[in-house]
Parts: sequence; structure tokens; C-alpha cells
Amino acid sequence: MKLHTKMMQRLTSLWTSGITRASLGLAILCGMAPEALAGGKRWGPVPFASDFGYRFEDLFWLITWLCVGSFSIVVIMILIPSVRDRYKPGRKAHFDHGASLKDKRLATVISAATFLVLDAWVLVIAMTDLREAWWNIPESEEAGVYEVEVLAQQWAWNFRHKGADGKFGTADDILQMNELTVPNGRSVSFQGTSKDVIHSLFIPAMRFKKDFNPGDINSVWFKPITAGNYTILCAELCGYAHYQMFGELHVLESDTFDNWAADASELGVAAYDSEDTEARWAWDWKE
Amino acid sequence: MTSETSMRRSTTLIACLATLAFAALASFRGDSAPAEATLEEHAEEQAADEHGAPAEAEKPHMRAPIGVDLYVREDAWLRAPGPEWFKKQSDLQPGRFTFNEEGGDGEGEWVDAQNVYRLIYDEEEDVYAYWSWAGPEQLTRGRQDFLQFCSSCHGIDGDGYGRSGQWLRPSPRSFHQSNFKFTKVIQPLPTDAALMRLIKRGLEGTPMLPWALSDEQLTDIIQYIKYLSPEGEGWRDPFTGVGDVVESGEDTWVGKEEYAIERGKRLYHDPSGANCALCHPGYVNPSALGKLLGDDSVKARESYYLPVLKDSAYEVQGQPVKIMPPDFTWHQVRAGTTTQDLFETIASGIKGTAMPQWKGALTDEDLWALAHYVESLINDYKGKPDARAEFMKGLREAK
Repeated sequence: MKLHTKMMQRLTSLWTSGITRASLGLAILCGMAPEALAGGKRWGPVPFASDFGYRFEDLFWLITWLCVGSFSIVVIMILIPSVRDRYKPGRKAHFDHGASLKDKRLATVISAATFLVLDAWVLVIAMTDLREAWWNIPESEEAGVYEVEVLAQQWAWNFRHKGADGKFGTADDILQMNELTVPNGRSVSFQGTSKDVIHSLFIPAMRFKKDFNPGDINSVWFKPITAGNYTILCAELCGYAHYQMFGELHVLESDTFDNWAADASELGVAAYDSEDTEARWAWDWKE
Repeated sequence: MTSETSMRRSTTLIACLATLAFAALASFRGDSAPAEATLEEHAEEQAADEHGAPAEAEKPHMRAPIGVDLYVREDAWLRAPGPEWFKKQSDLQPGRFTFNEEGGDGEGEWVDAQNVYRLIYDEEEDVYAYWSWAGPEQLTRGRQDFLQFCSSCHGIDGDGYGRSGQWLRPSPRSFHQSNFKFTKVIQPLPTDAALMRLIKRGLEGTPMLPWALSDEQLTDIIQYIKYLSPEGEGWRDPFTGVGDVVESGEDTWVGKEEYAIERGKRLYHDPSGANCALCHPGYVNPSALGKLLGDDSVKARESYYLPVLKDSAYEVQGQPVKIMPPDFTWHQVRAGTTTQDLFETIASGIKGTAMPQWKGALTDEDLWALAHYVESLINDYKGKPDARAEFMKGLREAK
């Protein structure tokens, strides 16, 4: 046999062995881990900027590390017997169906433990987060709640603010398209619907996502804690230009925001055409 | 009866009962709980409140795309640009057209790889006009792409009443009106290249996106859009001129931008200059206007720092709508914010609105100066609420 054919065979057998592949995978994972832990740019979600963002962050990393942990255990439990019990001349195979009472008990305990540790743990945290944060939409009467109406369409986001008079559907409403300006440190409460198909308002930095459906009004909220500019996306495939349906969220400090809102409301009045009833789409805030 | 059969029967029975129970529950919910007011109903109620009469039940926006004919079975002769365009294109791409003369009076046809252009004498109107031909296959392709990409806003019939176009201002174009606002051409109608440029770039701050379609698809769609012109109007009118994007030439103020901004500022506010501040907001304090222009008799209009609404020349649902001249420190300019884009927009005007064509009325030098001034307003104040608030404070306070 030629030398290079032999070498190729060696290499092939090396590659096809589970040990090589598993250790390669582990090496890659280990290489990724420091960057992921340090919150690097390439790995993990964008830094959060809303007050319930840490809940998402905690849950996300809990699930990630639980998966990494349980995957490692499975890999190790495959590796140990495949190394320990590998072929040796004269060794005889032992067959076992795992049907003894001892085996059944062990399997039951492991399954129950897996469910309680992995699923129930995550489920309890997730339900607590939903109750205390995402579904805990602030009431209108609460002080400092800033309300915005959203009308999604193919392929743009329409936002409506109350303007100076504190009412929706009036001349001084602030209308924005693909751009949303909100004050920092105040709860921003959305009610939204769609003109045509299902869209989903997604602001990754604020850690929320909500579907807006035609003919129905859905609510969602967040409370920004860091001023800055963030991306608004559509997270529901809504047609050909879905990929172009994005906007920008500006979170302004309260002084700047007051300046902005006063100017915006004044220009809203200047742009208001009282005869053009076709152009209006506001609704009364649903309690 | 085997146990298996009886089990299967009982399963079926349970399934039937569950279905019945579900149906009963659903109907019960439908009876007892009144359906939440939908957006349309609410809009109707609101309209009824304001005018004392209920709004129309059937809106043109509400048509469903059911039973829509996907085919165009006729061909069309559509207006093509004039002889200057053919000459210019032949200079740019020598050998693009072959000319087949027919008869002695200059009639004939120009043929290139895509199309046939023909100079036809219209006996009724006594006028020569250049036309291009669009066949049923091309129009069908155009219609099918139009339905897929454009109809959600521009409507199934291209009349601007698409479902996603409702409540939308500025409203989507109606292709039955042959009015194109931002094509940046001097002539009433744009060439295919000008329309293609617009569609590829999109209009900023609107759902008219930059469309990433192939040139072939866009060419078909454009022929279909032109085909939507009513008989004797727009693309089917022998008298309407078709032109290319306005030529900007070289910026005459390179290296002297601050002088350009100064000059642009004067022209912008000067009633005997461009007088932009007649509709757009003025960006000087009324008391400082006389000093800027060197003429104390000039008086600012009321609410000088706000834009003034103007009626459109085109119609939306049978009525003109109000067009707002943008406040450059605030609103998104639709057709690009580079100096050249602004030059082209100012030079060609915006069709169907109060924004006239300035090419010819002002020299190119002045147009560039205005473009520089508008660009400086956008760069200095747009998207900067604090800087703008400070600036506006100076404008509002009487000195």
C-alpha cells in the first residue's frame, strides 16, 4: 500500500472516531466561553436597556448553561463506556436489557430529577417573570406612564403620541413613522394593531416582542433605563419587504424629551388637516 | 365485538361530543359577549360623531384580492421621450438604436434591445409624438409583479387605495392620475430611467422602500404603471412631455461652502429671491429679517417659524389633500439629503404640489447655494432636539 493512502486512512479513522470529534467540539465551546461570559459583541444578545431586561438576561443564560451542563453530562456518559469498554482481544460482550427493578428505579429518578431541575426550574422562573414583568402592564392612572399607539402596516411602523392635550385622536397628536421617541426612566405602554397582516413589534434591546393583529388591539410595555438609539424590528414574516421593516427607537433624557415633545406637538398642529378625516386612525385607550 | 372496535367507537364518540361542546361554547361566546369594536367600526363611529352622518360602509381600501385577473390581454402605445433623448442615448451608447425610416416626413422607428420606439403623426391632434410599445406579455409580467410588490399600498387597480395605504399620509400614488412627485424631472412625465431610480432609492420616511428588484422586473412594472394612465391622459397623451432627471452639473461652491450657506439663507428668506419661507418655515427671527435682507420694509408672515399647509393638485378619494412643506430641522426630506439630491429636488420641483420648478427661475449657482443652506439646516438641527430647541427659542422670542 502506498504511503499517502495509508496516511489518508489514518486521518479518516481519526476523524470518524467520536473522541476526536467530541474533543474538537468541546475545544470550540471552551474557546467561545470566555467571550460569551465577558458579554462580548459576537456572542449573546445585545446589552439590555429596559428595567425588566435583567430577567430575560438571567433566564437566557440559565437556560443556556443548563443546556451546556446537561449536554456535557450526556457526552461524558457516552465517552466513558466507549473508551473503557472498547474492543480488546479476548474481551466478551455483556448484554443487558436494563429491565431490572434497580434499572427502572434509576431511570425514574433520573427522569424526575431532569424534569424538576431543568423544566420546572425554568418554568417557575419564566412564569414569575411573565406575571411580575411582561404581563404587568402599568395602568393609565399610574404616575409617569407614557402611552403610545402603534399601527403596523406593510411595511412600516406608525406611532401616535398623545401630544400636549393628553388625548389621542386630536390635532396636536405626534405622528411618527419608523421612528419612536420616548422619555428615559418612564414606563412606556403600547397599544397596537395592524392594517393588513400580522406584524410583531420587536425591540431587542428592550427585551420584548409583541404581535399586532388586524382587527384587534394588543398591549405591551417596557421601561427604558438607558438613553440611546435602538433598533425596532418586525419579528413576524409579513410579506416581501419584511426584512426592510425596521425603525429606530430614540430614548431621550427627560429634559431633551420635553423639548422634543413640545416641538413635535406644535408641528403636529401645523400639519393637521381638519378636512382630511380619511387620514385618522386613533382609538380610545383600552383599559 | 372486540375490545379494539369498542375502544375505537368510544374514541369517535368522545371526539364528536368534544366538537359539539366546542361549537356550542363558541356560539355561546359569540352571543353573549359583543364583539370588540374593530378599528374600522371605530373609525366609522368617529367620523359619524364629527359630521353627524355615518361614514361610507364600503371603503375602496377594503377590496379583497379575490378573483383578480392576473393577465393583461392588450398591448399599449405609451409616450416615449422626444428626439433629444434619442440623440443623448445614442451619444452615450453608440449603436444602441437602429433607425428604420418609413416614409419621407421623418416618421420611423428606433429599435434597441428592449423596445421599439416610433414617431407617429397624430392626425386628430396634428402633432408628432414618440411612442414606445408594450406587449401583452410584458404588461402581464408587470401586472403580476405589481400585484405582488406594489398593490398592498397602491391598490389592486393601481388607484392608490391599497389596504395598507389607508390612513397613510402622504397617500400612495394613484397611477390613474399620472402625477409623480419626486422623479426629479423637468418635464411633466419621467423617463423609465428616472422612475427606476426613484423605485430603487425609495422615498425616505415613507413605506415606499428602496426596492431590491431586478432591472427586468422594474422595467415590466414601469410599463404596467404607464399602461394604467387613462386614455388621452399622461402616458397616452401626445402633448405631454417626457424627460430625464434634471442635470445638476458641477457644484459651483466647492471649498466655499460657508458663502454658499450665507447666500442660500438670503435667497431662502428673500421675497424677491426664492421666497421659500412663504410656505416652508423661516429660520430667522422676524425682527432680524430686515437686517438679513438689508431691507426693513420686508415683513415676516404670521407664525414665521412654522410651515404653511398647501393644497395638492392631485386628488385622494376625490379630494385634494393638504401637503405640508417640510421643516428641514425636523421632517424627513423624501428624495435624499445630499447636496446633489437637494439641488435636483429644488431644480425640478415636486409635481402636484405647491413646490414649483426652480430651474430657469434661478441660476444654477443660486440653486446650489440653496441646496447647501438646506443641507446645513438638516445637518445642524435634524435629530438633535436640544440644539433645535435652543435654535427655535431664538426664533420665537421677539427682539
